[in-house]
Amino acid sequence: MTRRAFVEAGRGASRRVVAEPGGLVVSLAFYLVIVAVLSGLWRVAVAANGGDLAGYSAVALTWYIITSEAATVSVHARLIADVGDDISSGAIAVELLRPASVIGVRVATELGRTLPKLAALWVAGGVLAALVAGAPPRPVALLLAAPSLVLAVIANLIAQHAVAAAAFWLRDAGSAWFLYLKAVFITGGMIIPLELLPNGLERASLFLPFRAMAYAPARLASGFVEPQLLLEQLGWIAVLSVGAVAVFGAGERRLQVVGG
Amino acid sequence: MAIEVRGLSKVFQTGRRSARRRIEAVRDLDLVVADGERVAYIGPNGAGKSTSIKILTGILHPTSGEATVLGLTPWEDRKRLAGRIGTLFGQRSLLWLELTPRQSYRMLAAIYGLDRAEEPRRIAELGDLLDAADLFDQPVRSLSLGQRMRCELTACLLHDPEILFLDEPTIGLDLVAKQRFRELLVRLNEQQGTTIFLTSHDVADIEHVAKRAVVINHGEVIYDDEVAAMRRALLATKVVEVGLIAPIAPPTQRGVTVLEHTDQILRLVVDTHATPVRVVLDELLDGPAVADVSVVDPPLEQVIAEIYERPAR
Repeated sequence: MTRRAFVEAGRGASRRVVAEPGGLVVSLAFYLVIVAVLSGLWRVAVAANGGDLAGYSAVALTWYIITSEAATVSVHARLIADVGDDISSGAIAVELLRPASVIGVRVATELGRTLPKLAALWVAGGVLAALVAGAPPRPVALLLAAPSLVLAVIANLIAQHAVAAAAFWLRDAGSAWFLYLKAVFITGGMIIPLELLPNGLERASLFLPFRAMAYAPARLASGFVEPQLLLEQLGWIAVLSVGAVAVFGAGERRLQVVGG
Repeated sequence: MAIEVRGLSKVFQTGRRSARRRIEAVRDLDLVVADGERVAYIGPNGAGKSTSIKILTGILHPTSGEATVLGLTPWEDRKRLAGRIGTLFGQRSLLWLELTPRQSYRMLAAIYGLDRAEEPRRIAELGDLLDAADLFDQPVRSLSLGQRMRCELTACLLHDPEILFLDEPTIGLDLVAKQRFRELLVRLNEQQGTTIFLTSHDVADIEHVAKRAVVINHGEVIYDDEVAAMRRALLATKVVEVGLIAPIAPPTQRGVTVLEHTDQILRLVVDTHATPVRVVLDELLDGPAVADVSVVDPPLEQVIAEIYERPAR
């Protein structure tokens, strides 16, 4: 029953994105502007550094950026704040009245909403990268980057729900949303490959889940055939799932005891 | 029994640790609802209705007391109970606005674990019962509120619940849609035996849907009887309306209050404990000025307002 519920929730959300493509078009336009600007900056930086930055060529960094941005821009930008609002307003009570995991259905719904966007952004980004920089450095690595992108989105969605669950206690998850985005920006490798961070920060990022949300698929798409990144992502998804289910469960119990 | 509640209490703590305040939302509540009953659970704002419904549906834990709904303890068996009850809270939609109702039903059917083969048959059956089948393929956001509420009711009946908890289900509907919605609830109860547990501030909902009224105030049950008996048994007042063909002086007996007095109409409220209606009528009819007389119960709203003023049983 549960698996079918998750599949239907995701399928329904995908249908909504396709039925009302306005949001998809806006995301696509925003994404193309961002990747055009960032990849242009990186190509200049690589050229100024003799054609190589920490092992990345200009082509590799272009493919890195179109992938890391696709992984993050495709996810609903205000997810933490919206889930937090549903919790603090009590709207989530309706979902407690269904015989299915609240967080499970919510993550499945968001995944369904994200995947069509992710596919559209990455394909458009790939075309842009091929036009402005050239073909992917190692096409075979893209075969690993594709599933890695899906895992990146899953890790991101689970983590955002875990953070949003703070609203069960704090009532306002808005400030957490801001901090979370900054963490993904920097220690997730969203705009800068982790190898280019200061040593301390790069080492710290190894122990944080954010690298599973942007860096892993971007590193693969930029031509590094490192399948262990997929295993690392799966590991983080397992850890985040346990954490999110525990936090959400504790929040639900608090709601049941204290009231909404 | 559909619902059995004994000594149920819920205390909320508010404020900071140093100045913590206790609010007793539900106090020592006792209630039994038999299978197939239609119960109006009413009370003024802040009486404890929503809190007790949240406890009965498993959203809230009580502070003390016992309750079973369909033999399950709601706060311990929330998910199992959710598969056997339906809930409709007027301001919270069960449907996804961007989808058609049918697409929402598909998702809900998966969540409730409905058999895939059974799902279309059940949707068609409810479409006929609620006269809503023609709405199922339109986007939810394009439906009027009345149409949407029929689709919402379909959504909460999809898994064939044994009890329906309805919290202000007709709020915002126009008069025709309200009337139609009430008829649907009664039909559902009569044809499928679904227990109806309804809260509403709309007296017509109570009059037209419920057979029994339970009134709660300050977290306690202060009245529990048949709706029809509310007026008869509880009010010692009658409204006397007199059509006049000539001016008369109004009666002056104890307990008689004049509501309206013109050359054509005299409306009185009679406290029958102080003066029997017959005595008032005798005086009025003892002259040539009266064209017709009617004696009616006061409106249910007034009855309920008087019950709200009463202390706990």
